[in-house]
Amino acid sequence: MAAELETLDEEKIQYIVVMIGSEQYGLDISVVDNIVRMQKITRVPKAPSYYPGVINLRGEVVPVMSARLKMGLEEDEITKDTRIIILRLEAQGLVGILVDEVKEVITLGESEIDRSNQNSNKQDTTYINGIGKSGDSLVSIFEINAIIDEVEV
Amino acid sequence: MDVSQYLDIFIDETNEHIQALSDNIMALEQEPENKDTINEIFRAAHSLKGMAGTMGFKRMQHLTHDMENVFSEVRNDTVKVDSNLIDILFKCLDAVEGYLETVKATSDEGTEDNAALIKMLNDVLDGNAGGSSDESQAESAAASAASDSSAAGDEVGSDDPNGTNHFLALKLDEDSLGKLRAAVEDEGLKLYGMTVHIQKECLLKAARAFLVFKALEDYGEILVYDPSSQDIEDEKFDLGFSVIFSSESEDTEAIKASVLAVSEIESVDLLPVTVEQYEKAAEAEDTAADTAASAQEEAESAAAPAVADAAPAAPAASASTPAAKKAANKPVTTRTVRVDLEKLDALMNQVSELIIAKNSLVSISSSSENSSSGLDTQSWQSQIEYLERITTNLHESVMKVRMVPIESTVNKFPRMIRDLSRKLGKPMNLVMTGEETELDRTVVDQLGDPLQHLLRNSADHGIESPEERRAAGKPEEGTIFLNAFQEGNNVIIQVGDDGAGINTEKVKAKAVERGIVSADEAENLSQKEIIDFLFMPSFSMAKKVTDISGRGVGLDVVKSNIEALGGNVEVKSTLGAGSTFTVRLPLTLAIIQALMVEIRDEKYAIALGSIQIIEDISIEDIKYVEAKEVVHLRGNVIPIIRLDQLLDFEPLDDEPTNLTVVVVKKGDLQAGLVVDNLIGQQEIVIKSLGKVIDNNKLISGATILGDGEVAMILDVNALM
Repeated sequence: MAAELETLDEEKIQYIVVMIGSEQYGLDISVVDNIVRMQKITRVPKAPSYYPGVINLRGEVVPVMSARLKMGLEEDEITKDTRIIILRLEAQGLVGILVDEVKEVITLGESEIDRSNQNSNKQDTTYINGIGKSGDSLVSIFEINAIIDEVEV
Repeated sequence: MDVSQYLDIFIDETNEHIQALSDNIMALEQEPENKDTINEIFRAAHSLKGMAGTMGFKRMQHLTHDMENVFSEVRNDTVKVDSNLIDILFKCLDAVEGYLETVKATSDEGTEDNAALIKMLNDVLDGNAGGSSDESQAESAAASAASDSSAAGDEVGSDDPNGTNHFLALKLDEDSLGKLRAAVEDEGLKLYGMTVHIQKECLLKAARAFLVFKALEDYGEILVYDPSSQDIEDEKFDLGFSVIFSSESEDTEAIKASVLAVSEIESVDLLPVTVEQYEKAAEAEDTAADTAASAQEEAESAAAPAVADAAPAAPAASASTPAAKKAANKPVTTRTVRVDLEKLDALMNQVSELIIAKNSLVSISSSSENSSSGLDTQSWQSQIEYLERITTNLHESVMKVRMVPIESTVNKFPRMIRDLSRKLGKPMNLVMTGEETELDRTVVDQLGDPLQHLLRNSADHGIESPEERRAAGKPEEGTIFLNAFQEGNNVIIQVGDDGAGINTEKVKAKAVERGIVSADEAENLSQKEIIDFLFMPSFSMAKKVTDISGRGVGLDVVKSNIEALGGNVEVKSTLGAGSTFTVRLPLTLAIIQALMVEIRDEKYAIALGSIQIIEDISIEDIKYVEAKEVVHLRGNVIPIIRLDQLLDFEPLDDEPTNLTVVVVKKGDLQAGLVVDNLIGQQEIVIKSLGKVIDNNKLISGATILGDGEVAMILDVNALM
């Protein structure tokens, strides 16, 4: 722990802070392609339940995932604040994530992120690889690969 | 002449000639006396040799030259064709193909001499006389090398200002002299000086130099480099470089020949030298700069200024180096499609029509700007229709340009089956039809492996041993077939055999043994379900693992490869009568004609190619067979598929009395898809759904409609 305090010019990473349900989550900005407003989502039959469907993003068909359903929360409530975060991933290409609201961009260094509880047994925490402290609020940092890759059983 | 720009053509044509040779050698085996075939072979071998020579691939030329000799003897009836000879020839073809692969990867032929094969060819020529062939071959090689070098030498004499025997003019420091002395006095080796001249057009001089050094290392050790070895490596030299090396060998001709064997070497000067020569030169240098030069013959004195010339030239040479090096690293070939001129002409015509259509639209819009009445809707309409027709034709033409016959992939199979037949000791014959069937180039390229797997599978597992076949009352020679044809928007390729068929009981037992299903479950499986086990990873039925098949990495790979191309595989098998694998592939990958239908408020596309007819059916006409809905249409009983149920829609409160049924077909199978509404025919661009929800067999992709909405494309093949 003491070692962490000494690394003053540690690498800082920018996170986009979004609201999902009543909690704040952070997404590494380097994988975010852009953020679009809610638009018509076309259902894909037989797709996993947490994929409401696909959208037309400037001529590309992009699958959209509901973060709420993926994390076992109740279904999305579409409001004027609802946004789709478009992620550009190396393996999966473009994937959209439906979130309730986009709040801000924060910059966190490794020392400001608490990695200690990532081995907790609770189901929800498997998508999170740490908790960041921004001001007096807490931001759960998403493990992008876990959220996209893991197949619902 | 710079030949590198012809590399693509060379590779293309060599491929063609190799294929032609392979086909004709197969034919020759059947009819050893057919003069037309022999002439055909002779021509192909000759072209192959000529091209290899032009490109400077000496080893390849050498091998093809000897092949040609054999063919020439066959033509003169002095050598008889037997299966032994055919085997040798096929091995030679494989070797030539090996050269070609190396050329593709590195734009050089590599260093494999295939001496064993050349010896075999010469043995054939000598009527298997044995030992003497070795010598005569070595002689002929030396003679051809010598004549090469003398021919090259003549040219040099007339137009090369670099001068010969530059190595004599080298000025050595004490260090190098020490090395030379050590070699002579301590090890008793001979010293040789050598100046190598590289052809002017050579792009990779450093690479050539490296190959020269490598060749020399077989004979001895290189002691002195001029320019320094570092400079040579960095290509900081003009067209020649000199070395002094030590060797035990006294055979200067052999050394010279091996250096000349490196392609793009113009000439080599090689003479024995002594340490004293250089010691004197070094001393002389101390007193007067040019006495050393004047001590040599006149020609050599010219060499000194030439070396000085080389220095300013060096920067220019090194400037071109990065580009040349880059070229060496990446594979040199691009993927090309050979296009029939007619197809291109059609394309050209359609593009001109497109331009006319555009001009008409421009004139309409400008005339409507002038008139106060606004747009002339009628001429707009007709122009848009015209434009539509052109774009459709244009699309078709472009697709056709991408289409190549599957011939290029399947024509290597007869050879493969022949080899397998000999290897397995089972007589078998491959019958192919529909080689002219066209498919998208990308699909054809990737079709080779899966089809090869299927054919090997048939040869290894399908066809029984001759004894078993006789016992079963079948002809001893097994038949493997490959049929290709087009059906709607699909191309069907059937691979099968008249062998034993799949023993479903054995497969079932194996599945139970592997713990895939329980014994009870296995009893209730349909034949199709059992055969599907064969497509599971690492489920091999071979009793023993052979190098032909039986590693359990066959059918599952076939399946995944075909599915990656948007197709599917099916098996039909009758015990004792053989099995047939049916591969179904989409004709085009990007754009299709589709019927748009509506189910509730969602739109779906169905590929037009698989639609047979659209019917309105009264609800009373629906009958039940095994509790499943069917309809009787023109003598066919067609199962009804309720798309709304299949696609998880809420059922309608009150069912309509008339159903709109789209009848689709897949091979012999038919099915009636119930939809709520027909929208119409439309050309759609197929988009992938993305990897994350790709585990969906019913939907083959999505498309974006004119209004920006996304519609799913139904995969009819997966529905049935």
